[in-house]
Parts: sequence; structure tokens; C-alpha cells
Amino acid sequence: MKLLSCPLNGLRNISEFTYGGEYHPTPDHQTTSSRDWAEHVFFHDNTAGIVIEWWCHTPSSFWFLAERNTLTDEVVRTFTPDELYTKSIIQHETKPETTP
Amino acid sequence: MTKQETNIIAPTLATRRSPLYRRHLQYQAHFKQVGDNIVVDSYPNEGAINDEIEIAKSMGLCDLSTLDRTGFKGVGTPQWLASQSFKVPVLANTAEEQSSQSLLIKLSAQEILVLSDLLFLSEDVKRLYQKAVENHQSYDQQIYNLPRNDSHCWLAVTGINATELFSKLCAVDLRSHKFVQGAVAQTSLAKTNAIIIRHDLNKTPCFYILSDISGAEFLWDCLLDAMSEFHGAPVGLSALQTLASNQ
Repeated sequence: MKLLSCPLNGLRNISEFTYGGEYHPTPDHQTTSSRDWAEHVFFHDNTAGIVIEWWCHTPSSFWFLAERNTLTDEVVRTFTPDELYTKSIIQHETKPETTP
Repeated sequence: MTKQETNIIAPTLATRRSPLYRRHLQYQAHFKQVGDNIVVDSYPNEGAINDEIEIAKSMGLCDLSTLDRTGFKGVGTPQWLASQSFKVPVLANTAEEQSSQSLLIKLSAQEILVLSDLLFLSEDVKRLYQKAVENHQSYDQQIYNLPRNDSHCWLAVTGINATELFSKLCAVDLRSHKFVQGAVAQTSLAKTNAIIIRHDLNKTPCFYILSDISGAEFLWDCLLDAMSEFHGAPVGLSALQTLASNQ
């Protein structure tokens, strides 16, 4: 069986994981056009080579990211989302608006 | 309390009953009431409670689903629990027994599970639940309560042969020298998701299992089936309490 290393739980059978799709940086929802939102939500790059993907370790519901070579199916590394998300989206939303 | 007295108590009388109470009735289990909880005291067997203790020392399966448990999640959860005088494990996937004998399990950097003790000495779970209700607005609102009483069943596999059983059902190496006291594995057990916690009853190896409550009967049957070749059997809480209290 294939194995995947979860940043929280360690090396586990691939049957313990759920694939969550390609990672794309979240657009700024205040400024992004509808077209770009549709691109972000519905369209994927399907790159042949190194990609970043979302994976979930199902027994612990732990979401993380994996760099994977789609040509060789080699997982380069796995890492936690805080490497890419440095601030909470909720905090961003509740930030008081400044008047010009 | 004699077995005759304990058997008068029916699990259906309790406000909250174990998802496995039908299985226990099939086994003609003797029940007892401890506080608000009705638990299996023992199962009928030829001998006395000592026989069940011997089974538990070898390979036993106990239903702890009516015992209290709760959880908390969100940024700042470990710090909040530490401020409540709890010893919080440093590493994720480790468990720490409290001075009150309740068990604190760190499931991830910001998620904690709290299990009550087998001897019903600790009020930690009730106290924390009450605190969470009372202080809902006052503590950091990013911390939220995850009630576990109705989401997860709670089983215990005990005995020196327990790891033989797990080698049939689980891909994680749970042998004693690899999966030490206080270790936690969130993994697949008999094709169902489970949290497995090593928490020995003095010298007797003990593994707590928390799994989706809707699959409790499935998991119970799987475990009993898998342990049959090792002569494992269900045991009541009294056997575990004896093992936990014997120094």
C-alpha cells in the first residue's frame, strides 16, 4: 500500500487520507472579480510536474498540504497550512474598516 | 454490592444509555449505577469477580461509553486549560494524567480531549463543561467546546495480549515498546476511524478507543471476533477499577 506522511500523525497508509484538490492562493474577496472567483473555485491547472495539493488525514480530520510530482507520483514533502496562511481569514474579515 | 442487587438496575432507566446496551443485555450483564451513570459491573461467569480480573489481565473488552468526556478546540485552548490548573501535554498525540486522575489528551496543537477517570473520583469533565457554558462569552471566543459524550463511543481493550489483537486490525505499530504509556494514535481500526490511547491500569496494558458512536456495535463485534482466538472476552468496569486501584 502507498504511504503518506501526515505532519501531525506521521507515516500512514494512503487509505487513511482524502484528496482535497489543488492548492491555489485564496484571492482577496474584497477586490477579486467574479471571473477570478470562478477561476479559483472551479478551474484547475492540472500541471504535469510538482504541484501543491490539499490532503486530509481522515481519522483526525487534519488538513495539510503536500508537494507532489504528478509525473512520478513522488511526494516531495508535506507541511501544515500555517506555512502559507500566516493570518486568520476571520481576523481579516472582522478588522474594522478605516475611513479615508 | 452483590451481583443480584446490581442486576436490578436496567440500562434503559438511565437518561443516557450506552450505544452497546443491547449487546450487554444479550450477555445478561450485571449493571450498576455510579452517580448519573449506569455501567456494566460484570458479566455472568462461573467464578467470581476474580475471574473477570484475570480475563482483563489477559485480554478484555470493556464498554466505558457512559462515562463522561468532553473536548475543546480553537486557538488558545491549551493555554486556557493550563490556566485552569490542568497539566497540558506539550506534544500532540500524547496524553497526560491529571492529579485528579482524569486524562487530558492533546489531539493537535489546538485540540484537547478530556476523559474522566474509571473510579469516578474526578469532577474535571463536569467542571470544565460547566465552565464552558458559564464562560462562553468571557474566554476567548476562538475556543469552543466539543462535547464527546454523544459523538464517540468509548471502549477499553486490556491485557498483555492486547497488542496481538491490534496487529490484526490496525496498521499502526501498537506494541508496548513502540506505543508507550501516554501515546495516542488517530488512525483506522477495523476500517473505522478511531482515537487509540495507551493508558495502563498499573501493570496491565490498557488501550482506550474512541470511535464514531454510530459504529459502536460494529466495532464491538469486530473486536470480540478478533479476540476470540486469544480467549478474550467482555469485562465489566469493576474489573478495570480493581486493576486501576491496585498498586
